[in-house]
Amino acid sequence: MTLTIVRLYHDLLGTYGDQGNAEILQYRAIARGIEVELIEVNPGDSTPRSADIYLLGGGEDGPQLAALEMLRNDGGLNFAAAGGAVVFAVCAGFQIIGESLPAANDEQVSGLGLVDAHTVYPIAPRSVGEVQIAPARGELPILTGFENHQGFTQLGPEMPALGRVLSGVGNGYDQAEGVWHGNVIGTYMHGPALARNPELADAVLQCAIGPMARFDDELAILLAQERRQALKRK
Amino acid sequence: MTSPRLKVACTLGNIAGWLSRGLNRGRGETLTGRVILAICPNAIHDLAQNRDVVLISGTNGKTTSTSNLVAILSHFAGEGVTTSSSGANMPAGIAAALAQKPRHRLAVIECDEMYLPEMYRKVSPRVIVLLNLSRDQLHRTGEVRKVAQSWHDTFTKADVTLVVDRDDPFLEYAVAQAGHVIRISFGGRRHPDAATCPKCSQILNWTTGNYSCNCGLGSKLPDVRAGKNLRGPQRNTVLITEAARLMGAEILAADAQALLDNSPDRVSQFDINGRMVSAHLAKNPESWREALAQLNSPQVILAVNARGIDGKDTSWLWDIDFAMLQGRRVVCTGERRLDVAYRIQVQGIDVTIARDIAVAVSKFPTGIIQVIASYTAFQDLAVRELGITRVQGELK
Repeated sequence: MTLTIVRLYHDLLGTYGDQGNAEILQYRAIARGIEVELIEVNPGDSTPRSADIYLLGGGEDGPQLAALEMLRNDGGLNFAAAGGAVVFAVCAGFQIIGESLPAANDEQVSGLGLVDAHTVYPIAPRSVGEVQIAPARGELPILTGFENHQGFTQLGPEMPALGRVLSGVGNGYDQAEGVWHGNVIGTYMHGPALARNPELADAVLQCAIGPMARFDDELAILLAQERRQALKRK
Repeated sequence: MTSPRLKVACTLGNIAGWLSRGLNRGRGETLTGRVILAICPNAIHDLAQNRDVVLISGTNGKTTSTSNLVAILSHFAGEGVTTSSSGANMPAGIAAALAQKPRHRLAVIECDEMYLPEMYRKVSPRVIVLLNLSRDQLHRTGEVRKVAQSWHDTFTKADVTLVVDRDDPFLEYAVAQAGHVIRISFGGRRHPDAATCPKCSQILNWTTGNYSCNCGLGSKLPDVRAGKNLRGPQRNTVLITEAARLMGAEILAADAQALLDNSPDRVSQFDINGRMVSAHLAKNPESWREALAQLNSPQVILAVNARGIDGKDTSWLWDIDFAMLQGRRVVCTGERRLDVAYRIQVQGIDVTIARDIAVAVSKFPTGIIQVIASYTAFQDLAVRELGITRVQGELK
């Protein structure tokens, strides 16, 4: 089989190295002998409707809203997600896939509604720094990342978080960080998230293709351990 | 006029700086400046009175451009030039620079991007050179467009001449309301961080050599056209050569060319246990790209830290294409060696890690070694060379 990964609007939503998430998924899939097709969707291109994994990254406020408008008008991402495609969205991308988020002039704008989440700008300093979470799904180890966001995101009552905040801010409500609803995952963790958390990278792949062979990626494991240790020392 | 208060402030500041240097606590300018500003908050304004000041700001190349402009002006204008010492580009460092004696008429001052509006108001410069704007230390300055916005709101009059890279949309927005701008074009290369308009965030339309947005922002006709394939440091040299001309230095084209040929990037030689290595300081994605493009040795060390000034978030490593390292021997060191090593491995490049620079060098028994180092990793090399203990917070 060929796994198709779509990287959406890297020019607009790639401010914090999140394009790395696509490279890591590709790398870890190829290591298992899975063929990968990586599709770049740029502004003006239409979004494929039948790919396996869709990636959204972080971005600045203006480009975020431009990306949201294009995704809404195109409809491809919503179509694919409704059909069970995997979506992994970071920071601005996480906010976009929710029900609402801040627009210019203190107004709220509707998001894509893939998850029940509402983002607001609190009267609080920007959340910047290392974050670590205890994942809601027991099979994952402690996850770490670097967050850098103004928004706070409240999950609806039926929405499971990606994890519980051990240090850092996360969503800003109820000690929650991110969201994991069906095959849609959102998080505030950059790093990129999938570089620092190889088990999460594999979880994303497994959502798309089911169980996979083991892959002992020594450097990735060292990096994940080193980051967890560094945060423990703090 | 120097007020008695300012005199006292400068004297005490210089004593504090002298003591600091004597105690081997670093170079002392920051302390000197802090003392001066504590005693005389208006010192920067007062010290800049009746002097002809050039401010140099931008993401990359401030320090080198400042020293290059000082060299040109002192040679071609034939008089002394006051300048800030390497990298001390915030108010305390600027106050210390202006307080130095003799107080030359000409002053060339490097200025941090965030402090440029304040320094512009206090110093009333004749010329400001805006070199470039790209992503840098996101956790500190926020977004590059916020810097562009603050400059846009600042430069609304014709009381200063702004020299800018015309091909940079962030700079075009920064000077859009300014009264007097000299735009220098380098052939209109596409800016890596400007997919959307700095003003209104719509998608920018890029065509060969030009860009435009529905909101009206777009590339303007240049006042000066320079070479097409210049690298970052060379572009900066063209910009400061124009500033030198504005300040009265009669610089000839041939001399400018000689300067171009000699405009070094920030490369230094260090002795690591008897082996000479050349180290290139790279502070953000754009300067990493520049440094990687210049590698010519098959043996490369990458040293990455993530202390405050480096940017505490290492995800920028994934914004850089390391493909040119393919086929070279690469060793990663520094506090975040695993982050950089993993990024490179995912690109299919073989990599080794080493716990410090000495171990990294020992992995190469012979031959030339080139190092690219993030800000504090580079500082660590310099400090190691001098055999002194690093003092937090002395640089910048």
